[in-house]
Amino acid sequence: MSSFGFGLITAAVLAIATVGFTMQFAVTNVLNLAYGSVMINSAFVSYYLNIHGVTPWVSLFGGVFTGAVASWALNRFIFTPFQRRNLAPITVVIVALGVDLVGTFGLQAIVGGGYVSFHQSPGKEFHFLDMYFSALQLVILAICVVVLGLIHWILKYTRLGKAMRATSANPNLARNSGVKIQWVISTTWLISGALCGLAGTVFAMNTGVFEATSAQLYIVLLLAAMFLGGPGEPYGAMFGALTIGLATEISAAYINPQYKDVIAFLALLGMLTFRPYGIFGSEKTL
Amino acid sequence: MSQYLFYLATIIVYGAVDAMACLALNFEFGFAGISNFGFIIFQSAGAYAAAVLSMPAAATSNGGFQQYVLGLSLPWPFPWIGAALAGGLLALPFVFLVGKRLRGDFAAVGLLVSAVLLNVLVKDYVPLLNGDAGISIVPAPFQSFWDPQGLGYQFVYGAVAVVLTVLVYFLLKRITESPYGRSLRAMRDNDIVADSLGKNLRLQRTVTLVVGGMVAGLSGAILVGFISLWAPGAWGYAETIVLFAAIIVGGAGNHKGAVLGAILVPLAFEEVTRFIPPLANPALVPALQWVAIGLLIILFLWFRPNGILPERRRFLSGNPKSAEVPVPTGGESDALIKLGNLDELNFRQLLRLEETANDNRVILSTQGLTKSFHGVTVVSDVTIAVHQGRVTGLIGPNGAGKSTTLAMLAGTLPSSGGQIFYEGRDITNVPSNQRASLGLVRTFQLASEFKKLTVLENLVSAIPKQSGDSFWGAMRGRRHWGREDKENIERAMEILGGFGLEQYADAYAGGLSGGQRRLVEIMRAMLAEPKVLLLDEPMAGVHPNLAHKIGDQLTRLAEGGMTILMVEHELSIMDAFCDPVIVLAEGRVLAQGTMAELRLNSEVVEAYLVG
Repeated sequence: MSSFGFGLITAAVLAIATVGFTMQFAVTNVLNLAYGSVMINSAFVSYYLNIHGVTPWVSLFGGVFTGAVASWALNRFIFTPFQRRNLAPITVVIVALGVDLVGTFGLQAIVGGGYVSFHQSPGKEFHFLDMYFSALQLVILAICVVVLGLIHWILKYTRLGKAMRATSANPNLARNSGVKIQWVISTTWLISGALCGLAGTVFAMNTGVFEATSAQLYIVLLLAAMFLGGPGEPYGAMFGALTIGLATEISAAYINPQYKDVIAFLALLGMLTFRPYGIFGSEKTL
Repeated sequence: MSQYLFYLATIIVYGAVDAMACLALNFEFGFAGISNFGFIIFQSAGAYAAAVLSMPAAATSNGGFQQYVLGLSLPWPFPWIGAALAGGLLALPFVFLVGKRLRGDFAAVGLLVSAVLLNVLVKDYVPLLNGDAGISIVPAPFQSFWDPQGLGYQFVYGAVAVVLTVLVYFLLKRITESPYGRSLRAMRDNDIVADSLGKNLRLQRTVTLVVGGMVAGLSGAILVGFISLWAPGAWGYAETIVLFAAIIVGGAGNHKGAVLGAILVPLAFEEVTRFIPPLANPALVPALQWVAIGLLIILFLWFRPNGILPERRRFLSGNPKSAEVPVPTGGESDALIKLGNLDELNFRQLLRLEETANDNRVILSTQGLTKSFHGVTVVSDVTIAVHQGRVTGLIGPNGAGKSTTLAMLAGTLPSSGGQIFYEGRDITNVPSNQRASLGLVRTFQLASEFKKLTVLENLVSAIPKQSGDSFWGAMRGRRHWGREDKENIERAMEILGGFGLEQYADAYAGGLSGGQRRLVEIMRAMLAEPKVLLLDEPMAGVHPNLAHKIGDQLTRLAEGGMTILMVEHELSIMDAFCDPVIVLAEGRVLAQGTMAELRLNSEVVEAYLVG
């Protein structure tokens, strides 16, 4: 039961991250493998604000802002120009890998290789139903619920959300129906980038100690969660993140904790092999 | 002095190992289009295999301070052979991932994740390969009677490594310059189209990964025999990115480019940084190394996407001047296309049409064919019959399900319900490439040329049953397939001449105008020797004069025994060439008959003709 609580927190962070990741894939068809490096860079911006006297929950906004601007710029100045050249989709993925190296190790070159942590106490401990949560974890959980609620509201009840879904389903048709594609894409990258920055910061807070390469393998969990729910499906991403988050933490209670991420790997490989369009998805038109 | 010679020997071995790895990855990525983001695990499999095959049993080795499996104490060359086999065998589980229908970038991510997963498992499960600490004191070949620390030994080792790299170079070249290599490059440029022309994608990708994996495994064995240790830290997933950077810099699809890239990127990067004096922050140099690799990838893909030595164009026509013929660009040139001596071509001979009497029997039919996407039915209960030796038209308004029906007939899309019969046989579950081999060949609505193949290569690649178009055929060399290939090229040139495009034989198909690409696609489909040719809007974007000339030839082909089913929007084409015509609307068969009959059918007129 206590691992269920752990899993819930892992899932909350992962859900924020995966929803952003999958939204980027939905509107631009790019597997943004540089996502982890944007996360950790955002976390470090937030951390530097924090050690210069800003309270953690305010510094969080620095991380969100960094994620939003960095992701928007990444799409605007790197991915979009490459996509305009009509290259194979894999080229953009390779570019994203290059960006990931630059982002992660550029950060490491600047901040050094050491571990750091936020100036913040995890707060009082709360206990219910055999589960222990620190105040910090409860806040993360609350942030997750609020943010995902916000995303749900945007997707469901705003013109922007409708335009996003239209762009995702068929960009050409959306353009011909009067959707301002470029605006939708830019806004999506801003919003998803904000989620990325938020996820990176709460990930770092939740981990406790972190360094420049801490988020390097996070991309595996992201991919697993995204493919489980179907690529490009924000609600699928939430489902996938919950499943992967709980599965990894609960399995850690039964097997060697070092192998806990193996569940995510296997889920991802299984999905890619048998149902690349997600548990609920169906095959797309060729 | 001798310390420089030792250093030189080391550089030679490292350079050979990197070159071999880059040749293998380039074979997979640059030629066959498989983005193997997990490449490093194949090299690692070879290194571990060579280590545990050459080492004594774990319990007896140095007091048993390290744990590992096997430990067979095999003499050279068995550990190296075992390493190549291990690399090849490791490829087999991934065949499911790179199979037919998975997007290239999804498969790449799957391979990347597999590489990370294996690294984690090997690192954390110590009994297998000694975990994070790795395996050390791996014996060097012949060390029982020859001191591996000696200069002579090290240079001989380097020489062996170089000789093996040269052998690998010629082996891979033998494959890539054969008709089989052409099929691999066709798959790289457009896998769905290659599949529709009868190429077995899964088999081609399996062969590619196995061959690439064996070479990678061998390179790992050479490395571990020299440095005598191997640990998870040496094969993090990011090492694959370094090799990708090497190929992007050197030139994907060019063997020499791969070797050049290996020397410029992994070798130079490792070696140059050795000479940087130690800094206060020891992590800085490695970090900046990774940044440089990342930047190299981004900048090269932007400024020089084909690398320093781009893929070589193959001039097959034997006309050296063809390189200088300007390729027209833009649509306006389509009006100027002049067909050549098309009417004089002997299609029956060129396309090896069988001597079939035009017996008008039903050759292709469907029974209740249905397709739905996401619960929406786009083709519903379509039952049609196509008669041998006729040009059958398929018309209908946008979204009527014409292209979907055609795709199901060819097997590009699986059907959701109903059956398809071809020559009396139920082919509903026959894969598309086998349907093509049976003589059911399609074209595509959107441009589908193999961009980085020349026009001539596009055509020749479609010819079925080439003796050089298999792995073993390719291995038997030009003596085995050369003469036949020459005949195939001549046949393709003759058809090109008929369509008035012979001067573009050696131009990249991707550089042609829209109308010309259409012609290339039609010619290519013809050369696949179809019994039934399925054409998806072949005249779209083609100048009307040209369209009618093509239509005449299709009629001629049908008279010669070929059956044609054609999706088309243009009613004048239907009027002139198609009989009978099937009308689809909202996924259902609305009517069929001659155009004259259909014009009298009020339902059809309402649904389509008036619009």
